[in-house]
Amino acid sequence: MAAEKSLALFRSRLCDTRFVHSAFKSSPESNYSKLKFLISSSISEGCNNSVLLLGPRGSGKAAVVELVLEDLKMEHPDAISVIRLNGLLHSDDNSALKEIARQLCLENQLLFSKMASSDDNSQFMIDMLRECGLAHKGVIFVLDEFDLFTQGKQRLLYSLLDALQTLTSQAVVIGVSCRLDADQLLEKRVRSRFSHRKILFIPPPADDIQRLIEHLLYLPRESSFSSKYVSEFNSRLSNIFSDKKFKEILNSLLDVDGTISNLLGFLFRAVSCIDMDSGFLSLENFKSAHLCTQRQPKIDALQGASILELYILVCMERLEFKEKNSYNFTSIMKEYKAIHDAYKTSDNYANMVCLQAFEHLLDRELISFADSKGWNQPIEFRPVKLLVSAHELYHGLKSNSACPAILQKLFDHESYK
Amino acid sequence: MPTLRSASNPSSSPSYPKQRGGVSTPNKKRSRSKSTESTPIDARSPAKWSSPRRSNGGVGEICNGIVYSNLSKSPRKRLYDDHVEKPKWNPRDPAQMLAVKEALHVATAPANVVCREEEQKRVLEFCKACIEQEKAGSLYVCGCPGTGKTLSIDKVKDSLVLWSGEEGLQSPDVLAINCTSLTNTSEIFSKIVAKFHSRKKINGRLSVLQHLQHLFSQRHSSSRRMILIIVDEIDYLVTKDRAVLHDLFMLTTFPFSRCILIGIANAIDLADRFLPKLESLNCKPIVVTFRAYSKDQILKIIQERLMVLGYNVFQPLALEFCARKVAAASGDMRRALGVCRSAIEVLEAELRNASQEQEVDIVTFDHMDIALSKAFKSAVVDIILALPQHQQIILCATVKLFRHCKRKATTIGELNRSYSEICKSTQIPAAGTLEFSSMCSVLSDQGLLKLGQSKEEKLRRVTLQIDTSDIIFAFKGNRFFQSCLEQ
Repeated sequence: MAAEKSLALFRSRLCDTRFVHSAFKSSPESNYSKLKFLISSSISEGCNNSVLLLGPRGSGKAAVVELVLEDLKMEHPDAISVIRLNGLLHSDDNSALKEIARQLCLENQLLFSKMASSDDNSQFMIDMLRECGLAHKGVIFVLDEFDLFTQGKQRLLYSLLDALQTLTSQAVVIGVSCRLDADQLLEKRVRSRFSHRKILFIPPPADDIQRLIEHLLYLPRESSFSSKYVSEFNSRLSNIFSDKKFKEILNSLLDVDGTISNLLGFLFRAVSCIDMDSGFLSLENFKSAHLCTQRQPKIDALQGASILELYILVCMERLEFKEKNSYNFTSIMKEYKAIHDAYKTSDNYANMVCLQAFEHLLDRELISFADSKGWNQPIEFRPVKLLVSAHELYHGLKSNSACPAILQKLFDHESYK
Repeated sequence: MPTLRSASNPSSSPSYPKQRGGVSTPNKKRSRSKSTESTPIDARSPAKWSSPRRSNGGVGEICNGIVYSNLSKSPRKRLYDDHVEKPKWNPRDPAQMLAVKEALHVATAPANVVCREEEQKRVLEFCKACIEQEKAGSLYVCGCPGTGKTLSIDKVKDSLVLWSGEEGLQSPDVLAINCTSLTNTSEIFSKIVAKFHSRKKINGRLSVLQHLQHLFSQRHSSSRRMILIIVDEIDYLVTKDRAVLHDLFMLTTFPFSRCILIGIANAIDLADRFLPKLESLNCKPIVVTFRAYSKDQILKIIQERLMVLGYNVFQPLALEFCARKVAAASGDMRRALGVCRSAIEVLEAELRNASQEQEVDIVTFDHMDIALSKAFKSAVVDIILALPQHQQIILCATVKLFRHCKRKATTIGELNRSYSEICKSTQIPAAGTLEFSSMCSVLSDQGLLKLGQSKEEKLRRVTLQIDTSDIIFAFKGNRFFQSCLEQ
């Protein structure tokens, strides 16, 4: 009972980006505080500003923007209106202007006409900015996928940033992009009008990560759980966190991808393996979650392959190693017979059986045809190629318990152990 | 910055603050600007500050002596005035902070446009001549972004209207168009017709351009007003066949045309490249170039803006540093103002974190240094250092490959091989092929690598988007990566 409730609590926390990023709200050096200070000072002073948020995908840029806007809306209820554009949807200038006009109409309860031309829309936008400036209402433009707006003639960016140059408007332009050189993509006119403020979202350092995990996984004291359960849970969790193995797992996870969304996925898997009887998390949960993230699907597929299929794959590998450019089933069979003659193995099967195994491999996409046009030819004569690398094949052979030693020996002359 | 400090007089600067309580610096700022330029600011300031000197001559003499001997033109009166009249800036006061930020904001149009008097005079003379002789003409204004073109032309427009009122001539009709707002390049003609000839019916058979041409080639009985057309960002009108731009400038060549056309753009040779025919007709537009601002001009403009405030906000050394850097980079005034504003924000951040006793009341050289490095330094090295370890190894592998093979491009398969070699030699478990491909696409999303398209994942082309020297510099202090790179 307690286990289900805590599982539900953790899942809801990990899926709610607002809760995740509110862990960094209090520190003054965090990106949240920088962005909030920038926007709130622009709104309160009535001046225009533009800023670019840069960072790899999944580092929480959009989440931080949403958090800041939500907090600002609560503090100044009527002083802010938000216009959201996305570079994937509105890359064409005309559709972007139409979308801006539509959202402005929505915010201010005006009627929107679909028939308005792009000229009318841009005039409307300029007039609205002026009106909002006179009414001391700030307009915040959030441009997602900012680098996609820089394709073409950049008219939208130019007209937006040019509107910021006049005293009557009060607007903030926030660009969100994953390309770190997004401001180099701007044309020189647009770049001159853009104030070079950038907020970089780099992967957080180790103690910040520690703080974040504690923020997410510690049960709150004043909740509906029994206090005994809460204190037992939290103490077990802090034991896990101080364990060296946990730190190793965390480091190997973050060494590949240090973004926050990767960490959240890992924690979600770990939490879903919670022991339902006792209701406590253990180190094994984190280890199995780590294994999930390190899956190698092709090696898993090789684990379940039959011995004949492994033979066929090894023959193909040998043919490729001998640098035969294209080979087909018949040449594979020749190689197979050659191995059989040389080593006198017991796994000698007839052609028909081998052909069945071959077709099975084709279905599982461990091999495929090298050409795309030979629909009329019978399967035996069409050229094929391997879809697993030699490295993966080597590991697959090792992990397959039924693999005969001869195959591994045949592989030994490859030098990549 | 040893050069700056040696330029200022060693005897005056250190001793001065002790005597005057820290108000020496604004004085030095003015004296430097005075000695380097000979423009209206020079003529204005002595007259402005003359009176206090006469009334308080006694107190000023003693300290003035030091300054007077070192500088050619001593603003002794100003010196005294700074001590008496200029209060200290209190950055904690929100009203004062607001005033400072507003004075430095790009959107605030200054009352006088300094450093562009030459160019404004030329344009004004041209327009005046056209109006007096009732002849049409065209002018082309060019220059880098942020050099004050649109601002100056606006001022010229206002002064032209004023002048024509004084002279008793008919003031011209003005139309200002920004070509980025046109969806279709030939819309510009419809706009001209709509503004000036709205009363006349448009003949349905002719196109708008032909209508205009027709109008301009006929003599009209009543003398009409001159038309001033200001076309901003005129290079947006350049199409493949250059017809629209040509026709626009040709409108001024008709016998009864009454328009004065001023085009504004960035390219210096627009007239030569796109309007060759006009030269043969002997009506090439006059070209007025707005050159990029020099360090002294930037300094003067910022000081002009700050003069409306009653207090000193910046240390003159800081301002000069900023002007020097921006002038060397681009000469763009917007950049300079942006950097000054961000220096003020650095000061604000320091105030928020500092305790109450610390007196921070002027933007120093250090604040300006931080603001300039934020604006000008590229963040590539920081980004490389912040990448996760395996992605850094991938960048190392790329550098190694390119160094060995002296090529600029490789494939994902080869890169994977190089990457696994490095991992093997340093005993780190390598990531699998799937993870490797996803790490490469993350790096290409960020703009560090560039991945091509291919049917097979292994054969996708990989090129570096950043300099190898940046990568090598980033890993300089790191022994682990040094050993990787050296193998």
